[in-house]
Amino acid sequence: MSTSVLQFQPESSQTLIQEVMDRSGQNLLACYQCRRCAAGCPVGDETGVTPDRLIRMIIFGEREEALNNLLIWKCVACYTCGTRCPNNIQTARINETLKQISKEAHFEPILPKVAAFHDAFLRSTSHFGRVNELEFMGLYAMRNAKRELKHGGGWKAVADEIKKHAKLGISMMKKKRMHFRLDKIKRLFEIKRLYTKAKDEAGG
Amino acid sequence: MQIAYYPGCSLHASSELYDIQCKKVLNQLGIELKEIEDWNCCGATSASKTDDFLTVALPARNLGIADASGLSEMLIPCSSCYNRTLVTQKILYENPELKNKINTELSKKVEGKIRISSILDILVCKANSGEIAEKSIKKLEGLKPACYYGCLLTRFPGDIKISDNIENPRGMETVCKALGAEPLDWSYKTDCCGASAAVNDTDTSLFLMSKIIKDALARGSNCFVTTCPMCQMNMDAYQDQVCERYGIQKKLPVYFITELLGIAMGFTPQEMHIDRHFVDSLGLLRELKLI
Repeated sequence: MSTSVLQFQPESSQTLIQEVMDRSGQNLLACYQCRRCAAGCPVGDETGVTPDRLIRMIIFGEREEALNNLLIWKCVACYTCGTRCPNNIQTARINETLKQISKEAHFEPILPKVAAFHDAFLRSTSHFGRVNELEFMGLYAMRNAKRELKHGGGWKAVADEIKKHAKLGISMMKKKRMHFRLDKIKRLFEIKRLYTKAKDEAGG
Repeated sequence: MQIAYYPGCSLHASSELYDIQCKKVLNQLGIELKEIEDWNCCGATSASKTDDFLTVALPARNLGIADASGLSEMLIPCSSCYNRTLVTQKILYENPELKNKINTELSKKVEGKIRISSILDILVCKANSGEIAEKSIKKLEGLKPACYYGCLLTRFPGDIKISDNIENPRGMETVCKALGAEPLDWSYKTDCCGASAAVNDTDTSLFLMSKIIKDALARGSNCFVTTCPMCQMNMDAYQDQVCERYGIQKKLPVYFITELLGIAMGFTPQEMHIDRHFVDSLGLLRELKLI
């Protein structure tokens, strides 16, 4: 993927750098492109974009490429890049920030299932205060089904996905690793309050 | 000795066996786990990928409850929960304004005084003090585990100091040796299994797991041992698919460190729930006459 030459975009460069640095808390100007992060990135081969390249995109002001590339969706949050960085830059944090900005800017996620997974996870937590794997997987499957039907994947894509998870579900049941009991916390109102505050913090 | 205990969602669901094993094994070592009341989900990596405030606020609530328990140490066996909670404690220490903001919403406020321990923090101490060897009635001879740490036990999205080496941790090997097993040196002990990618980006995850399994086999390991419920679940439940896709002939059981301790201490496989693995995990133990 993306091996194109980056173009310096002075008008968007400064605002993008500032926004990413403020939100991620990472000094990405300290990057001197040693590429230790790239060497350690487990998905770098597949994505073409490696953490160093991502930082370069931001510095060059390539807003669209930075917010819409395979690495931000394929990153497995292993934090190898950050622990190996000689300048202490947590690129995985930058990645998380870009994912959030990308969502706010209404970019369609390149890997929509990844986005659906994390959204469903947080939604599930808000319902009961704990993640109940069955409910969570149900929310996740519903999000995927909705998207497939809307964007032309059709019923077959929906059925294939459900079949895949059902297979895992059945073997989990056989091994008594599936739980049907609903785990719910008592002071759920505190979780609700934290979610409301999170919304306020993000600017409504 | 009593210590606080945060099981996290996995240990209450698909990895319940790990919860049971932790309690039984640590009890043998003189540690009573007191589950903190009304704990909530830590948000895992999903929160950090979605919302910066909740990333800190969700583990913060648990920290407040733990601080109020009056105990000085809390065990978090799940690597992801451990990682998120430890990072949150540090963020709140460095950012009193954020701490106050979160505390106003909580009935039990974060003070930041409880010490967070991983399962290895505790077990390595017990191995070094000789207590593990003392409580073991069997030597796990013939067991050659590839000690698999995964990502989140040693790597943090922030500057956290841990007692083990980040690139080449040895804690799990120390515990395995105390049990009489022969842990092997290998290259993929801290590589990523893909975590949630197993569900939402399966091809990527299967590929990452194939590299881990191939190296463990090439070194002559006869099993994996891990402390992370996510790594355990992935490597166990998806091993069939990985082996089929990448032409790997042999399958390796994926044990939690706690079940190996349990077997050495004389618990039965039923008491340790060893029948709840996807890859056959009793066969090897029988073959080595450990059960």
